[in-house]
Amino acid sequence: MARNKFDIDEELESPFDLSHLKRSFVYIKKYKGKMIAAFFVSVLAAVTGLTAPLITKHALDVTVPAGDIPGLIFLAGLLLLSIVTSSVLGNIRGRLLTKAGQDIIFDIREDLFAHLQKLPFSYYDSRPHGKILIRVINYVNSVSDILSGGIINFIMEILNMIFILVFMLIVDVRLTLVAISGLPIFFGVLFFIKKRQRASWQQVSNKSSNMNAYLQENISGARITQVFCREEENAEIFDKLNREYRRAWMRAVKYSNLVWPATDNISVCIRAAMFAAGLLVLGPEAVSLGTLAAMTGYAARFWQPIMNLTNVINSFINNIAYLERIFETLDEPVTVADRKGASDLGEITGQVSFNDVTFAYEEGQNVIEHISFDVKAGESVALVGPTGAGKSTIVSLISRFYELEHGSITVDGTDISDVTLRSLRSQMGIMLQDSFIFSGTVMDNIRYGRLDAADEDVIRAAKAVCADGFISSMEKGYSTEVNERGSKLSSGEKQLISFARTLLSDPKILVLDEATSSIDARTEALLQKGISELLKGRTSFIIAHRLSTIRGCDRIMYIDGHSIVESGTHEELMAKRGAYYKLYTSQSA
Amino acid sequence: MFQLKWLWLNMKGSRAAYLTALVLSVVCNALHVASPFFQSKIIDTFVSNENAVENLRTQRSLLWWLLGGMIGFTLLRTVLQYSCNMYYEKASQGMIYRIRTFLFRKIETQDMRFYDRYRTGDLMTRLAGDLDMVRHMVSWVIKSCVESLSLFLASVIYFFIIDYATALCLLAMTPVIFFVTRLFSKKIGPAHRKVRESTAAMNTAAQENISGNRVVKAFAREDFEKEKFRRSDEEYRTSNIGAAMVWLKYHPLIEIAAGALSVVLLLCGGIFIINRHLTLGQYFAVSGLLWAVSNPMRNLGNLVNDWFRFMASASKIIEVYYEEPEITDPEEPVEKPGRLSGNIEFRGVSYSVEGKPILKNVSFGIKAGETVVIMGPTGSGKTSLVNLIPRFADCSAGEVTVDGTDVRRFRLGDLRKNISMATQEVLLFSDTIDSNIAFGNSGLSEDEVKHFARLADADEFIGKLPQGYETVIGERGVGLSGGQKQRISLARALAVRPSVLILDDTTSAVDMETENHIHSALTEGLDFPCTKIIIAQRISTSRNADKIIILENGRITAVGTHEELKRREGYYRQIYELQSGINAPAESEVRA
Repeated sequence: MARNKFDIDEELESPFDLSHLKRSFVYIKKYKGKMIAAFFVSVLAAVTGLTAPLITKHALDVTVPAGDIPGLIFLAGLLLLSIVTSSVLGNIRGRLLTKAGQDIIFDIREDLFAHLQKLPFSYYDSRPHGKILIRVINYVNSVSDILSGGIINFIMEILNMIFILVFMLIVDVRLTLVAISGLPIFFGVLFFIKKRQRASWQQVSNKSSNMNAYLQENISGARITQVFCREEENAEIFDKLNREYRRAWMRAVKYSNLVWPATDNISVCIRAAMFAAGLLVLGPEAVSLGTLAAMTGYAARFWQPIMNLTNVINSFINNIAYLERIFETLDEPVTVADRKGASDLGEITGQVSFNDVTFAYEEGQNVIEHISFDVKAGESVALVGPTGAGKSTIVSLISRFYELEHGSITVDGTDISDVTLRSLRSQMGIMLQDSFIFSGTVMDNIRYGRLDAADEDVIRAAKAVCADGFISSMEKGYSTEVNERGSKLSSGEKQLISFARTLLSDPKILVLDEATSSIDARTEALLQKGISELLKGRTSFIIAHRLSTIRGCDRIMYIDGHSIVESGTHEELMAKRGAYYKLYTSQSA
Repeated sequence: MFQLKWLWLNMKGSRAAYLTALVLSVVCNALHVASPFFQSKIIDTFVSNENAVENLRTQRSLLWWLLGGMIGFTLLRTVLQYSCNMYYEKASQGMIYRIRTFLFRKIETQDMRFYDRYRTGDLMTRLAGDLDMVRHMVSWVIKSCVESLSLFLASVIYFFIIDYATALCLLAMTPVIFFVTRLFSKKIGPAHRKVRESTAAMNTAAQENISGNRVVKAFAREDFEKEKFRRSDEEYRTSNIGAAMVWLKYHPLIEIAAGALSVVLLLCGGIFIINRHLTLGQYFAVSGLLWAVSNPMRNLGNLVNDWFRFMASASKIIEVYYEEPEITDPEEPVEKPGRLSGNIEFRGVSYSVEGKPILKNVSFGIKAGETVVIMGPTGSGKTSLVNLIPRFADCSAGEVTVDGTDVRRFRLGDLRKNISMATQEVLLFSDTIDSNIAFGNSGLSEDEVKHFARLADADEFIGKLPQGYETVIGERGVGLSGGQKQRISLARALAVRPSVLILDDTTSAVDMETENHIHSALTEGLDFPCTKIIIAQRISTSRNADKIIILENGRITAVGTHEELKRREGYYRQIYELQSGINAPAESEVRA
């Protein structure tokens, strides 16, 4: 799959259909109780609302002409009661729907986030992170109203419409037909607008996603922008994205705002047509004036729910673009997942075997081919070779971050694709090239490796990797708040924290991928002394360019051209006078 | 209200559109009040009139006119309403476009202090959700205020004209509404601020999870992350429901008070009619327009609610809007210096962060064209030192000069154009490799991009990628190995042909052979004069440097060439011994 960047719109693969809405019923169903209660309360409120005009009518027709002041006071009291009742009912409805709406988006967000946790690296690698973020936060927020109140309103208005339609049919069928004759025109116009409206709102969501992606990258990369004095140029790019968004928005509201006036005009034409039909075509002989009066009254009432409906539908259409994006993300295939019936790996000793492994990130571009090797439990293996030879790839396959093209990898004799990811990865300690620091305290960042570790354990791990010194020298020590791109930590310091984090997790298999590249040589030497104790009893894979780091390993594998070129101890490989020898002598020359 | 003034300020360019929209919405409202006229006239004359049948025969043309008027009037009204709405959209979009562009520039030019304070997720919240709230304010809240107010005033005046006593009775309800609204407004402000905060917290939680997805997977912390996110999501839900409940607590009171208007009218109006103070016609005139008074009253609570939401959001945006970086252009900058030659001097430079001294009285000089390597333990201040040259930070004492001029006297742009840097943590953009290399110089031709990639020894592996230079790399360059990223970052730094090139541990993740290639390219392959400052950990890098500066604990402890320093007792010699091959001492012999 091609990677997406900030200025490329994401194509939505699925066409519009009601299945999105149907699918959201899965989320709504859970709050069936609240929704149904809200619905009945709404009906009750509507019925209560109907009593008010009746009371007024009675008061003006009977009580006032009779000069009956006590009667008037009684009726006024009744009216007040009816008003109080309907506002209390409205309030209950509001409470129910607010909770339901928030609960529904809470669930959607939970699912979305949980799904994101399952998605492979390739998902994150192939699109700007801002585009993922906006789905989790903004898009989910946008659908809360339509999935709670929106649906209730939809049903209410339809009921309302049917209710009035029945009344109209009872009074006069002919005029009712005139009133309904407007509906095809109405739906025709609506269809015309909707088609464009949906497309244009999708465009808005695309453009806002692009803009956000660019924004996020520029916040993270502000430093680089300043290094290269690109402020002006980036501002222009952002300006362009910003303009595109505005244009998309204006186009979308151009259609959205059209719905209401169109409905209004059709409605008025229908009413005019009813007068014309009743008074001029059918004539007073055929239609009694009383009927006509009643009918025009109903006609106005008949169009009211329709107009409200178009409003509801409008917000459905506007927000369905977001719902589509959410479901699209939920449908993103989980390529690396627990196999059905995957078992727990159980406690391992750390024996690792590659059996004829071939792997490619993108089809046809094999990164490694037919690699086989066995690593005994407790053995330390160094992977060396030119950059981009596939060293990081090999170690990341042990954690099953990617699926193999061919061959298998076993840990303690068990194929890693047969066990749960959790049981596998929780016994591995991987220190990646990029050390990521979460916002929080230094203590929390290290504790990420073992969540139940006591403070003393954290400090012990920090001491083992020589990080205690600089941490303690900070004003707040382990309680210092740090964040992912803050200036408080140097790269070397970040690596040390991330190293401590890995050690704390007490892994059976330890993977150090350029773990010490930013750490100075002397600290590294101290570090190695400190951790050589900790490495005992653990299988370790070490990728490093500094030969001082590598020399002490039990075995060294030289990786180049998709496969293992040489393998053996330092002495063996030196004696061989091959690639490793060349590498080693070039460094120490 | 500063927030409103700020809105007006940013509406520059859209003010005319906005004022037009406001006027139009008053007009549309007036038309809306008048719209039942035609229909009631038809009913009065041709339906409910005693002589309806007669009228129908004699005044047929009037009926046609009225029907036509009914349609024409609606058409006119909706056209006006449509253009009014579009004016609102135009003005509000114009305004947020302006604010967004401004904020982007603002954020781009901020210094480290700013980035320590604001997290990415937090800034994203301000530029997305908060800005939308501002849009809502302009395109909806203010509009509703104006409409409600004009409607309210017009109908109250109308009521007074009809009958002052009835009008006064109705107005007696307004203090009640104002009182309730006031109570409400005291409670709702804090609730909305809470919602705002929980939104930002959730945003940050999600953003960090996405950026740190590799670490999450590496530690199999999915469940922990879900739990962490769940907490902030829960917080978000609670605060949202909380704010809604404050609203729902006061809403029925407002609703009842507004609804009570019809009770007051029925009671007072009824009594007035009985007392012959009021006619039935007058009563209907008032009751027909009662909504024009009660709706604005009902709306008041909504508006107050939105107002406080706006306030919570706007103050967050304004905070960033007026954030000024500490490092800025000087008031009287040196005139366009052109290409600098690259003589650098540090004189008694001290630098501290939050009171913690990082560099202490550092002095040294570098002549144009020299290659200088800076070495020292982790956290000794190497990166801080080089950051002072392009002014990513300013020293707290002493001065840093380039070509004899204090760096603080240059315009930032003039200075930084001459200095290029490959930072320790490689940050690439999700764009093509070609655009990434040409980042600092987008006018670069394809051949030139290739040329610089070759200097950084990146051409070969890029050529092997299926789409070559057009390959889109992921955010932060994920998908490439550490060494590959470093080489692209190096090519990017070279591509601007700087006078001063700073490499902050740029080759830490590349293999020896590549590193050697890169260093010989740097010494011989550059077609422009360039001072090179290299932070490194390896002796192989420092061996051929003109000068090596050893930085320990913020002080310079040694300066010299490789030959000089390796003979001298100290840090460099230790490193040398550690790294220089076969006869190196065992690690256990290393002294701290």
